[in-house]
Amino acid sequence: MTPSIRAWLWRALALLTAAMLCACSNRTPSVSIPTAAVGTRLAAMQVVNRGLGAMPRTLDPSLSTDVPGQEVIDDLFEGLTTLDAAGKIVPGVARSWQTSPDGKTWVFHLRPDARWSNGDPVTAQDFVYAWRREVDPKTAAQYAEALSPIVNALAIATGKAPVASLGATAIDPLTLQVNLNAPTPYFLAVLADNYFQPLNPAAIERYGESWTRPGHMISDGPFELEGMVIGDRITLVKNPYYWDAAHVHLSRVVYYPLNNESAQLDRYLAGNLQFTDGFPASQYHWLKRHLGSQVMTGPYFGTVMLAFNVTEPPFAHNRDLRLALSMAIDRKILAEKLGQGLPRPAYQLIPPLAGYDPPVPAWARWSAAQRHAEARRLYAAAGYSAAHPLHIELDYPTSPSERDFFDALAAMWRINLGADVEPYNEEFRVLQQDEALHKTKFFWDAWIGDFPDPFTFLQLFETNFQQNNGGYSNPAFDALIERATRQTDLAARYRYFEKAEALLNADAPYIAISFYSTTNLVKPYLKGVEQNIEGRNLSRYMYILRHTGD
Amino acid sequence: MLRYLAGRLLTAVPTLIIIATLAFGLLHAAPGGPFDAAKRLPPAIERSIEAQYHLNEPLWRQYLRYMDQLAHGNFGPSYTYRDTTVNQLIRSGLPVDATIGTCALFAALSIGSLFGLLAALKRDTAWDFVPMLLASLGIALPAFVVGPLLILIFAVQLHWLPSGDWRGDSVRYLVLPVTALALPYIAYVARMVRGSALEVLSSPYIRTARAKGLPDRTVILRHALKPILTPVVSFIGPAFAGVLTGSIIIEDVFGLPGIGRYFVTGAIDRDYTLVVGITVLYGALIIICNLLADLCYAWLDPRVRLRS
Repeated sequence: MTPSIRAWLWRALALLTAAMLCACSNRTPSVSIPTAAVGTRLAAMQVVNRGLGAMPRTLDPSLSTDVPGQEVIDDLFEGLTTLDAAGKIVPGVARSWQTSPDGKTWVFHLRPDARWSNGDPVTAQDFVYAWRREVDPKTAAQYAEALSPIVNALAIATGKAPVASLGATAIDPLTLQVNLNAPTPYFLAVLADNYFQPLNPAAIERYGESWTRPGHMISDGPFELEGMVIGDRITLVKNPYYWDAAHVHLSRVVYYPLNNESAQLDRYLAGNLQFTDGFPASQYHWLKRHLGSQVMTGPYFGTVMLAFNVTEPPFAHNRDLRLALSMAIDRKILAEKLGQGLPRPAYQLIPPLAGYDPPVPAWARWSAAQRHAEARRLYAAAGYSAAHPLHIELDYPTSPSERDFFDALAAMWRINLGADVEPYNEEFRVLQQDEALHKTKFFWDAWIGDFPDPFTFLQLFETNFQQNNGGYSNPAFDALIERATRQTDLAARYRYFEKAEALLNADAPYIAISFYSTTNLVKPYLKGVEQNIEGRNLSRYMYILRHTGD
Repeated sequence: MLRYLAGRLLTAVPTLIIIATLAFGLLHAAPGGPFDAAKRLPPAIERSIEAQYHLNEPLWRQYLRYMDQLAHGNFGPSYTYRDTTVNQLIRSGLPVDATIGTCALFAALSIGSLFGLLAALKRDTAWDFVPMLLASLGIALPAFVVGPLLILIFAVQLHWLPSGDWRGDSVRYLVLPVTALALPYIAYVARMVRGSALEVLSSPYIRTARAKGLPDRTVILRHALKPILTPVVSFIGPAFAGVLTGSIIIEDVFGLPGIGRYFVTGAIDRDYTLVVGITVLYGALIIICNLLADLCYAWLDPRVRLRS
C-alpha cells in the first residue's frame, strides 16, 4: 500500500466512524444543515416536491379514506366549499348559498366559470352524480356514511332506498338543492371533504374503475393528474381551466410517498423535498435546534386517550377507580419528556375549537401532589390497597404507539397508586376486533375529528354508535347530544355539547392523554403554508421565492 | 435433459397449489378483514361492501373462486388499493426489484468471489484479514443502518448521489440502494468462496496439478474455479428469488416503488389477494431459481447427473 492510499483509507475510515456516530446519537450537529438566502420575488421555477406519508390507496374521491389520499385529492378536486391556507372554510365551486329557517334545506349557486380539466363546465348534476355514486351500494364506498346528514343517504347505502331518492337535486345547471335530516351547522365544512367533491360522469362511464389513471382522470381542482407510478410518485400539473388559475403559482406538484419518516427527513435535508407531511417525533428537539422555523407544528384535531370497558368489572359501576387512574397520570411529563413537547397535554376529549368552551375538570389545575392524593383516596374508596392492588392489562396496538410511553404510564400508576398495570401489545386489527367484541377491558384509543365540530368526538360515547368501544351508556348524555343536533344556532348547539362533555368528564369512561400536533418541514423559500387543525395544506396557495442554496 | 426439465416443472404445479392454499387459509384465519378501518362502518354498509367482494360467501367458495382466477393468471383486485389489480401492482413493482436485485447479486458474485479467492490465495496476510474483517462487518450491519448511513454521507453531506427515488434510466439512482443491498451478499459470498477455495486448493488433484508444474493461473482458473463456486450457486439460487421480490428495508429507506413492502403492509391490512399473489409469485420464483441453480451445478460439477 502506498502512503497516499493508506492516508486515503484512514480518511475514509474516519468519515465512516463519524457518520456512524452521527447515526447512533440521533444526528449530532456535525451534519451540514441546508441554508438558503431567500429573496422577495417569485422564483422562475414554480415546482414543489412534497413528501407523502404513504401511497394513497386510491385517488377516487368517493373511495379514498386515507390521509395521503386526501392530501392529493385536495389538489385535484374542489367541492362546493374548500379550505384557505389557514384551514378556514371558503367558497369553492359554490359562489353563494342560502339555508331555510329550519336549517334543513340548502340551496347552492355554482360559479359559472367553474370548469373541468377538459374545459367542460362543472354543473350541479355533477355533484348529484358524485353523491349518488358515493352512497350507491354498488360503489362499495367505505365512508358512504359521511353523507349521512343528507336525506336518505344512509337508507340508500344500506340498500333500503333507491339511489334516486337521495336528498340532492339539480334545479338547473348552476343551482343545487340539498335536503338534510337535521340542521347541520358543520355541513359547509364537510362539503370541502373528498366524499362531497363532484365527479365527471363522462370520464367514469368511459373508463370504469381505471378512470383515476393519468390520461383518464378529469378533475375540477387547481391541478390535474399528469403521471402516477404506484409507490413512487404522483405528478400533478396546473389545471389551466381552473376558475382561479390566475392565483395558482405552482406549475407542477410532485408527491413522493415515503412510509418512513426518516426517509422523508433525509430527502428534505438532501434538498430533494421542499415540504414533508411529517418528521420523526423523536428528533423534534434536534430539528428545532438546527432547522429553526423550517419545523412547523400546530394543533391538530385529534386526541390520544385510554378507554375503559364500562360494561364489565373492574370498571363497571366504578367511577372512583376510573377517575383515580386518570388523576394519577402526569400528562405534562408524558408530553414533555417522552413526546419532546410535541403532543399537548389533554384533560378533556375535544381539542381546542373556535367558539367551543371545553369543560376542563377542576383537578387539571391542581398540583401534582394534590392530584395524586385525591387519586389515592379514590383508589382506596374503590376498594383497592397495597394489600389488594388492581391488576389489569392495558392493550395497545403495535403502531403507532411506542412501548416506552406505556411503560411510563404503568410506572406512574405503580408509584402514585400502587396499581399493577401491564401494557400488552397487540396487532392493530386484533385489538380492533377485541374492542368491537368488548373482549378488552382497558385499551389505547385515538380519534381524529372528521369535521371541525364537537359532535365528531362526542358521538363516540353515544349509546348506539358503532364505535362506542367501551360500552358507555348514559341517557342524560344521549339526550344532550340529541338536543344539540336539533339546534339551528351554533352557539346554542355548542352549549349543549359543553354540558354533554362535562357529564362525560364526571363519569370518566375514558382518560384523555394528549392532543395531536401537525408536523411539517417547510423550506424557507416555500411560502403559502400555514398550520391548521385539519392538517390540510393545499398546494393551490403555495409559491416559491427566489433563493440561492437550499 | 428435456425430460428432467418437464418433470421438475410438473412437480412445481402441486407445490404452488399448496403454497397458495396455505397462504389463503392463514390470511383468512387472522382476525379482522380488509375493510376494518380505524373508523368502524355501520354493519349494513360493511355487509354491502363484503358482498361486492364476495367476502360474505362461505370460505370454500371464496377459495375455489380465487384458485380459478389464479389458474387464469389473474391475481384479482387489491382490497387496499381499490382501483388497482394485484397484477398491476406486481407489473409496476417487479422490474424495480429485479433491476436492483440483479445488480446487487452481480456485484456480490463478482466482488465477493474476487475477494474470497484473494483471501484464500494470500491466506494470513492483510489481503486475507482486511476483506474478511469487512465481510464480518457487512454481515453484521443490517441494511437499516447501512442505508441511512450511505444517504447521510453521499447524499446529505457530499451531494454526490440522490438520497433515494427511482429513475429507471439513471445509474446514479441505482448506486446507493444497490450498494446497501449488495454489501451483506458480497460479504457472504466472500466468506463462502474463501472457505471453499481453501478446501479445494488443498485437495489432492490440485496438488497433482501443481506437481505437474502447471502455472498457478491455469491451476486456479481451469481446475479449481468451478468446484470453488459450487457452494455459491446453491446459495445464490434462493437468494435471487429473495431479492427479486424486494427488500422491504431497502425499499423503505430509499423510497423505491418495489413489491417488497406490499408483503408487510398487505399482511397488516389483510389484503388477501395481494399477499397470496405475491406469495405465489415468490414460490414460483424460488422454484425457477432452484431449477436454474441445479442446472448450473451439473455444468460446474460433472459428477452431478440430472435425473427426473
